[in-house]
Amino acid sequence: MEALIEQNILMNLAFMNLSFEEVNHFENLARDFSKRSIGPMFENDLPDGDLSHLEKIIEKAFDIGIAASAHDKMAGNEFGIWGNCTDSSGLLTSLVLLSAIAESCGGIAMGLHSHGVAVNILQKAAHKMTKTFSRPIPCFQDDFGVPSLKTIMSPDLDMPQKMKTEAVEAGPGYVLNGSKHFTYSLPGADALVVLARLENSWCCLAVPADSPGVTITDAGRRTGLRASKLNHVTFNNVTVPRENRIDENGARPLVIRSLCLDWVGMCAIAVGIARGAVKAAKQYAAERYQGGAQIEDHPVIRMLLAGSETRARTAKATVLYLKDMDPEKLTSLRAAAMAKLSVMEVCAQAVTDSLQVFGGYGYMEDFGMEKRLRDVTVLKSAHGSPLYLKQLICDIDREEAR
Amino acid sequence: MNDNLKQRIEELKMKNATQQLNIIGRILVDNREMTLWEHDTRLLPRGAAKWRRKALKFAREEIRPRAPEADIDPHNFDPVPLLRASAKKGFQTLVFPRPFGTANMNSLLKGLSLQVAVIGEEFAAECGGLCLLLLAHNLGIVPLILSGHIPTYFRHFLPFYFKTKYLGSPSTMAFAITEPEAGSDVEDTDGGATAKLCTTAKPFMNGYILNGTKVFISGGGIADKVTVYAKIEGRGIESWTCFLVEKGMKGFSVGRKERKMGQRACDAAELIFEDVYVPKRNVIGKISSGWPNNRNVLNYSRPCVGAMALGHGRGAFERALEFSRKTTLGGKRLIDYQDVQYELADMIISLWSARTMIWHSCSQTRAYQSASSAAKVFASDTAVKVCNQAMELMGDHGYMHSSGVERLWRDSRLTQIYEGTNQVNRLAIMEHQWDVEIDKSVLGYE
Repeated sequence: MEALIEQNILMNLAFMNLSFEEVNHFENLARDFSKRSIGPMFENDLPDGDLSHLEKIIEKAFDIGIAASAHDKMAGNEFGIWGNCTDSSGLLTSLVLLSAIAESCGGIAMGLHSHGVAVNILQKAAHKMTKTFSRPIPCFQDDFGVPSLKTIMSPDLDMPQKMKTEAVEAGPGYVLNGSKHFTYSLPGADALVVLARLENSWCCLAVPADSPGVTITDAGRRTGLRASKLNHVTFNNVTVPRENRIDENGARPLVIRSLCLDWVGMCAIAVGIARGAVKAAKQYAAERYQGGAQIEDHPVIRMLLAGSETRARTAKATVLYLKDMDPEKLTSLRAAAMAKLSVMEVCAQAVTDSLQVFGGYGYMEDFGMEKRLRDVTVLKSAHGSPLYLKQLICDIDREEAR
Repeated sequence: MNDNLKQRIEELKMKNATQQLNIIGRILVDNREMTLWEHDTRLLPRGAAKWRRKALKFAREEIRPRAPEADIDPHNFDPVPLLRASAKKGFQTLVFPRPFGTANMNSLLKGLSLQVAVIGEEFAAECGGLCLLLLAHNLGIVPLILSGHIPTYFRHFLPFYFKTKYLGSPSTMAFAITEPEAGSDVEDTDGGATAKLCTTAKPFMNGYILNGTKVFISGGGIADKVTVYAKIEGRGIESWTCFLVEKGMKGFSVGRKERKMGQRACDAAELIFEDVYVPKRNVIGKISSGWPNNRNVLNYSRPCVGAMALGHGRGAFERALEFSRKTTLGGKRLIDYQDVQYELADMIISLWSARTMIWHSCSQTRAYQSASSAAKVFASDTAVKVCNQAMELMGDHGYMHSSGVERLWRDSRLTQIYEGTNQVNRLAIMEHQWDVEIDKSVLGYE
């Protein structure tokens, strides 16, 4: 029954260029990847899995085409997460892939997602760059966080804070100075996709990670999503060749694109985490006896389960509603912000209620529920807190009314 | 904002505008510049207020510096220096008055658990795990007091308190009710009636032989003595009896120590009883008095768990406030933005409500079930909410370990689970009030 409903949802949502069978294929591919490649990572006592498996898992993701690739001959170039198909066929495949992977591990999904966002932007300039990067990091957040709408429109104005990371034209290219914070990525980054201020407009530069003046430092210990790298990056007089400039005439659309894809992808990950939690809670409730009955027969447990499942499905519907958005439009940015604001809250509640079904066991590292709660909680605050999103939603509304 | 407007706003502020009132009007306005913490402290009975001030100082000096290490590497953390420091300051002997304990008699009479709740909030604002390490000990003690059995006081309780208070002994006690197949069951009447209990006591010689397992026992791994509840062999939970099991008794061992999401500095241990002989003198209270004893222990402990939760929430709030004060955006401090002020104010309201409820519950000289459960549920739900708000306010900084807020968030989540899940506690409120509310409702339904 459950599978049938899911099938119906996907059938209704199948995009014009993708059949239901194709979308289903991607979901099965991601599930198979989760089971065979991610599964062994958790065959130990470590709360976030054995991260030494990570490189092998990522290689597999590239092999089967789940991880996006800027190389046009690689499997992930078209249908990898945020690959070329994002513009030709919509966001659906990436959302489906991310969600299915996040059911097993939010951290790996986050790494693949961030990598995909960077590749998606790099692909805009693939034709003119002599070097192709395989593991780029998206860098758009200055030390004060995600820019406000006024800064998105004009990065040089203090409204309330101008972009500090600045590129200056010099000789055959640009000189970059500044810092970017809380950048999620896959391990082994070879490039940085940097959104910076160039005079009074935006520019987007692909910076090789080994360029002199680039320093990448680990952000430190954190609550969740630990399978993904989290770094701070500083640029100290970094020379970037002109051909590495991704945008043609200002990168504002790319700023909007990167934010849109980032938030929608994070929402898909949250949905996956919630769905994984609900599945685990239902299974536990069917197996655990207390008070002479399976706990799924206790009305209070049923309330928790039904509430969680409803929330997970509501969140999924909200995310899938955005499948054919144009990620460079302000309206889409507003919709993505609204989705992040609501989906994270709803998914976090679904996960915490699912954890509660386990009682004390849910709080222990053995059942994987506390990891899910840690992961989804990080997503709520990462790259745009609810406070920021609320302001942005109103700002865009007012901007569009003008 | 121009200078003229600034001046007008300054003049309109309550402190300055009050000067326009006559003397009686001015007396009736409270314009003292005082923190909310200080305002609340002055509401407490003098003895409890003294403990609150002492606990704040102790938490900042002794708990704060140890918290990160105890959270990251709990297995290599040595709790003895902290336990000793706490004992020396009198925090480990707070459920009994002088000369045996350190509780203030006057405050104790106003509410048996008030002083413990007050220090619990302060300790938990720094670290949930270390707070639990220090407070779980009281849970092991309370069954002895509630047994009302004077010989038990003289044999077990008073010597233990004497050693702790006067010699600064780091010895602790623990409270063991949860079993692998009976968690919340043993904290709820309906659940208790059908609970599958595995820990049994069989009469033998001049005592009992204990067999079975207890799980998730806070501080169980380091406790010198444990109050253990076991059913008499061949009977049900109505035969539950409390036994005092001491470290070193043959057949008693500590099994697995759980790996938890938070409150990691205090172990949650499995206790294994294999043919443990417990002499009759170690039976706490009457045979078969374990069930009411256990339930009443929970009535006293639940508001304290609520107070701990409140502490987690307050700690998170304080850190978010500090972050908002130190962080600038566009030349302005975050705290100067109205939406940030709104969020912080919302946290204050939530925390205040929770504190009011806990102090109300703790101010009952004899704890009662519905007030205790309600305080625990409300405070723990509030704490998780406030911790989430604090993390969100700090954006990406909030989930970094260095912020301290995420640890408090992890700590707070456990308060919704232990001492009976919040679901069981809600049922406990209804169970306790059900007949009374129906029979004697002020609405007077026939």
